[in-house]
Amino acid sequence: MSVQLAVRGLTKRYKTGEGVTGINLEVNKGELVTLLGPSGCGKTTVLRGIGGFLEPDAGEILIEGKSVTKLPPEKRPTSMVFQSYNLWPHMSVYDNLAFGLKIRGMPKADIKTAVSDALRLVRLPGAEKKYPTQLSGGQQQRVALARSLLLKPAVLLLDEPFSALDAKLRHEMREELRDIQTQTGLTMVLVTHDQDEALSLSNRIIEMNHGHIEQIAQPQRIYNEPETLYVAQFIGKMNFLEGVVDGERIRVGELSWPNAKRLSGKVKVAVRPEDVGLNASSNHQDGQGQGLPGKIKQIMILGHYAEVSVDMDRHGTLKAFQSKEAIERLRTGESVRVTLASMIAYPND
Amino acid sequence: MRKEVKQAIGGLIMVSPSFVLLLVIVVIPIVQSFVTSLSNGEGGYDLSRYQFLFTDKGMRSNILFTLKVTVVSCALVLLVSYSLALYMRFSSGKLVDWIRKTYMIPLFIPGVIATYGLMNLLGNHGWLARLLLPLGMTLPRLIFDEKGIVIANIWFNIPFATMLLSSALTGIPASIIESARDTGAGKLRIFLRFIFPLSYKTFLVALTFVFMGVIGSFTAPFLLGPNAPQMLGVSMQQVFGVFQEREQAAAMAFFTFLLCSVLGYFYIRSMAGEEAANR
Repeated sequence: MSVQLAVRGLTKRYKTGEGVTGINLEVNKGELVTLLGPSGCGKTTVLRGIGGFLEPDAGEILIEGKSVTKLPPEKRPTSMVFQSYNLWPHMSVYDNLAFGLKIRGMPKADIKTAVSDALRLVRLPGAEKKYPTQLSGGQQQRVALARSLLLKPAVLLLDEPFSALDAKLRHEMREELRDIQTQTGLTMVLVTHDQDEALSLSNRIIEMNHGHIEQIAQPQRIYNEPETLYVAQFIGKMNFLEGVVDGERIRVGELSWPNAKRLSGKVKVAVRPEDVGLNASSNHQDGQGQGLPGKIKQIMILGHYAEVSVDMDRHGTLKAFQSKEAIERLRTGESVRVTLASMIAYPND
Repeated sequence: MRKEVKQAIGGLIMVSPSFVLLLVIVVIPIVQSFVTSLSNGEGGYDLSRYQFLFTDKGMRSNILFTLKVTVVSCALVLLVSYSLALYMRFSSGKLVDWIRKTYMIPLFIPGVIATYGLMNLLGNHGWLARLLLPLGMTLPRLIFDEKGIVIANIWFNIPFATMLLSSALTGIPASIIESARDTGAGKLRIFLRFIFPLSYKTFLVALTFVFMGVIGSFTAPFLLGPNAPQMLGVSMQQVFGVFQEREQAAAMAFFTFLLCSVLGYFYIRSMAGEEAANR
């Protein structure tokens, strides 16, 4: 698979002290890569750097092997879908879509066909004569997407495109974007702070924090094997317990695991709620069976599963996802033994 | 009483003070001027005052002079103001800060004082002429000429026009410009297809205000203008005050009102057109 976009040592510092330092990443042709992180982590800076909307202090950006670092946005083979749609209010949908094609000198008849096809692709056929103010937020974002798609960019940049939409529409738009990406085979870079969006859409996720990259990996891997404590905290729900290295093993109470990372001293043990098992203490004759002692604090039914909060005394509160069947055996205030199916250990910084 | 009727009466009561004010200070004087302008001075009514206005050589040249000064002033004021507003919107730095802090100053200087200042600056024996003299240069005739009136109009109108246009340009989100650039538009195309269309409504408002202000101006044309031809305001004062020809002055006033109405019509038509497009 060929590299469509390469960012080498991108650095941009703002007067406020924020920015990005030494960003290196590659996006393959036809890939959808997500820059994920909290506000101010630098993901939009990277995207705007790729789009040419800011001049980097250092580094290089290559698209299809050619450096575009010094080119202004209008000369780059990229197109951006903005967070606030940015449709031009004084132009009809047709004019919004046709504008870029006219600049490229496409014949009028071809523009008409292309606009019509693009509107069909984003499920807005026949909307040519409408004005942006006559469209809903979701429709406006579809038109913005169509406008960018029409330009057939080498890399399509999406800056939190669904953040202004309600939850249901956001979900629908995600599915549509995934379909469009599959149909068109476009290379896309998506910026979002929504981890569900990143996990559901991306071929790979680039997790950012304080202006640098924490981890680049496929969604499943970033969820199952977060490389740093920060990624473990950011992606999905995670429990953290205090652990200690005891020879070749990491120990939390009476539970222990091999010390694969060869850590030393005190460690943080991260456990996903779905890896937490709960057994009623009465199942053990002396109440001292396998697992850590805890007491059920709260049970929240969330449809097909429940989130159980367990008071772990010196380990704080642990969250556990339990099936409907398992919940029937548990009661609030009941003592339980907690087992941990898997864990990841991090140095206790 | 039905709720709708009560609401309608309430609305009428609320709108009546402004309506009465408009009636007293605008509508009635215009109607009175028109009626007076039709009086032929022999107890009858005809269009002889208007006939004189368009056939008398002096009056005709006054009208043409007024239109010329107004058009040139409007063009220059809007050119300078739009350029300043664009510069302030899309640039940064010390010069922009300096312009932003100073461009309103002319608004705080009374018209007659500013005109006196311009006479002292641009007159035959003014500061500028005295500064140029040691360099062997002679200042061309600027005051008691149409150029003096135009310079004064620029001084008086730039602050307000710049303020209006600046506010309109600030209202254009940077993201709109960015998305246009992203689509491939260069600077000229961005100006012609985005910046001007998105600010032209305010441009039209500024044009209307400048046009009305210049065409009806008196102080600067009276103190800085030539003896002949004259701006309509100065000529009107002479016809009314010196020659005591009330009816002729009324015809001139009504004609000036008609000139302003033409621009008002275009302004209202464009606003109505835009509202219809937005519905």
